[in-house]
Amino acid sequence: MSATATEGVASPTKLQGVSYVGTSLTKSFDGAVVLNDATVTFEPGEIHSIVGENGAGKSTLVKILSGIYQPDSGTLVLGGERLIGLHPHNAQQRGIYLVPQEPSLMESLSVTENLFVGILRRRRFPFLVDWRPMRREASGYLERVGLDIDPEMRADELSVAQQQLVECARALVHRCQVLFFDEPTSPLTAHEADTLFDVMRNLRDSGFTLGFISHRLDEVLAISDRLTVLRDGKIVMRETRDQFARPAVVSAMVGREIVTRVRERGEQDLTANKEMLAVTNLTLEPYFRDISFVLREGEILGLGGLVGSGRTEIAETIYGLRSAERGRVEVEGVALAHRTPRDCVDAGLIYLPEDRGRHGIFAEVEVTRNVTAGVIHRLPRRGPLLRPAAERRMAEEATKTTAVRMPTIDALMKTLSGGNQQRSMLARWLLAEPKVAIFDEPTRGVDIGAKDDIWTLVIKLAHEGLACLLISSELTELTMICDRVLAIYEGSVVGELTGDDITDARLGAMVVGPVAR
Amino acid sequence: MTATGQALSYLDQQMPGETGEKARSRLVAILMRREVQLLVALLLMSGIVDVLRPQFLSSSNISFMLAGSVVIMVVATGQTMVIITRGIDLSVAPMLGIAAIAIGFPAQNHNLNIFVALVLVILIGIALGVGNGLLVTVAGIPPIIATLATLSVYGGLQFVFTSGLTVISLPHDYIAVGLEDIVPGIPWLLLIGVGIVIVAELFLKFTPWGRAIYAVGNNADAAYRAGIPVRRTLFMTYIICGLLSGIGGFVYLCYIGSASSTTGTDTNVNLISIAATLIGGTSLLGGRGRPIGAALGAVFLSVADTAIVVLRILPIWEPAGVGVLILLAVVTDRQSGPATRRALRTRHHAEVAA
Repeated sequence: MSATATEGVASPTKLQGVSYVGTSLTKSFDGAVVLNDATVTFEPGEIHSIVGENGAGKSTLVKILSGIYQPDSGTLVLGGERLIGLHPHNAQQRGIYLVPQEPSLMESLSVTENLFVGILRRRRFPFLVDWRPMRREASGYLERVGLDIDPEMRADELSVAQQQLVECARALVHRCQVLFFDEPTSPLTAHEADTLFDVMRNLRDSGFTLGFISHRLDEVLAISDRLTVLRDGKIVMRETRDQFARPAVVSAMVGREIVTRVRERGEQDLTANKEMLAVTNLTLEPYFRDISFVLREGEILGLGGLVGSGRTEIAETIYGLRSAERGRVEVEGVALAHRTPRDCVDAGLIYLPEDRGRHGIFAEVEVTRNVTAGVIHRLPRRGPLLRPAAERRMAEEATKTTAVRMPTIDALMKTLSGGNQQRSMLARWLLAEPKVAIFDEPTRGVDIGAKDDIWTLVIKLAHEGLACLLISSELTELTMICDRVLAIYEGSVVGELTGDDITDARLGAMVVGPVAR
Repeated sequence: MTATGQALSYLDQQMPGETGEKARSRLVAILMRREVQLLVALLLMSGIVDVLRPQFLSSSNISFMLAGSVVIMVVATGQTMVIITRGIDLSVAPMLGIAAIAIGFPAQNHNLNIFVALVLVILIGIALGVGNGLLVTVAGIPPIIATLATLSVYGGLQFVFTSGLTVISLPHDYIAVGLEDIVPGIPWLLLIGVGIVIVAELFLKFTPWGRAIYAVGNNADAAYRAGIPVRRTLFMTYIICGLLSGIGGFVYLCYIGSASSTTGTDTNVNLISIAATLIGGTSLLGGRGRPIGAALGAVFLSVADTAIVVLRILPIWEPAGVGVLILLAVVTDRQSGPATRRALRTRHHAEVAA
């Protein structure tokens, strides 16, 4: 253990400063290129922001820069020295620190221990940990990041915002000069975020090299000195502070050239159709409030919004996974109070979850049983016993409808690709004969071909009368297949678009929040 | 090793190969089944011991060993269901004990009708199982802690109920159930055990409730979202485990002919039932396992127990032997060995990511 920790409190005087350059970074996962030939330079005394839509590759980029992922090709140069075989531990030793989205402190240890973990001071003999100087130093570092707390507090007694600042202090303790922040503000309130920004500005002014990822465009424009826009793994825009223009950045993020895709849903008047799902004043603080909408037979209603805007929480509350503070949910005019998922399924409302691996599939189980899991109490029986052959036929038919490709229907779910797992989940819910369906990020993590199939299937189901609520972070997905879209920002509906008015640009401008003063 | 590995990889990918290859891979699949492995191990062990001690496989000894396995067979069937849901029941021993004394004293003192006794143990088992079920589902206490607590509570109650007395003489019909054979080598008790295992197999495989048990054990979150009532399923599972422990108490009483304040606990029913379950191929990670495996595990342990005696190995070695068998069962399990490691790894990753 190299125990040469900092001597004395890090002085607020200016550092020498170190620049960090990633050149031609490329990374692919399972054949899908997520980062393509990206070159990016982080200069000392600058806050350099990386922005882009979900899946644009910004997280991947920062993970490569901080050693969590190894690039397939490309080089990393820190202060003129080429870094080879970077991994999280030696990255930190070299002075690169990643402040994650959710702080990862050791919850039951004190703040001091968290700050010094890995470089605990020892006495000369008998090598016991020497707490006194560490405590003294700890308060100095905490002050530096604007935290007025007792360093003896347990980490889990702190708020998320405070924990994040402790992470910053920890970077200072470990003498890191290059700090990356991966969407640090998503779990924070606006006020807490401001505190963090003050600390970041302070660090910048003392010569630290800062990288910042966020999808909240306003805060990015306010704090950044330099901006890089990623789209589909490629850098599509580089700007410095004096050149920032919000509309230009939005269109670079969203990619206007893709907008030329034809909308598949023509204008159609659905207002006469039967109300299938009515949500009134649904509220669950702090996630969302006063959500009201009506979804009609055969309609595809989109919920657009950024990750963390409350879309998934709204869906989970409708489906009975969370209890609303107030508000009503009605399916076909029948109120569902104190509902569980089972009640919803029985009422004809189904929910395709966002996190397929954790909330959807049974990985170690055959496709058949995965597909029939939503209807096991309705499966064909002889006396008290299920009829496996009939069940298998049902599953086969459903998987044929959703075009699941698999070796046999007895294959284990985990052996299928993401796209085919998703198709199997759709097959499961088709068997439940739903009237209302909530699709939460139905095409996340599936390949292009499967995406297309899923869109086609959703449209076909809507034609047959299914009322669909489609949640997506992909604007194009919403633009292409929705009849109507509600834009959600920080838990509230901030706009509605109908028919041909739904464009990527309009929706994109809505979901990043109201224009800052 | 390599040949087996190749065969296994064919098996995993379900590759449509030549028919010979297919047949071979099917054979490998059958041989990889834990039940088949156990059966082979059982026959091998019996054969070897029989060569060394020729009376080992006499019909009376077979009958003795099979009858001796029934208590654990019945209890382990319940334990299997609980472990499939990713839980564990550490209170099966005192549940069995309470059931045994609750019918033992009336049978001894008032000649309680044997069918009434059977109904009684079922009701008692259900009541005790409800206790565990409430703790696990309503109070949300992790099963290992909830049943550790009831192990102590039920064990204490058992002691209180007996007031230190012991059941020593039973009416003839109880003893007959416990000791007589239907045909030589096949004891009546085995009929009860096998009947329960068959019903449990059908229940788990061919009823919606059984399917819910597997689903909950595989992925409780996904099961809940698929509309499966997770808490109700868990509740039911602990009740079934209590019920089967109660029947285990009945079997114990008939077989041993006595019962006391420490019945169940003194014969280590908790550990042995878990051992039989794990040896039978049920995964502690949940979602996988079969009562028939647990039943074979129970027979295996009974036969091993008798072998220790006839080979004149000191019986104090038995617990250590059971421990080694549990380890062997878990380590040699092709699926759960790597899966356990993977699960631990993913849990670690999840924590890191969070």
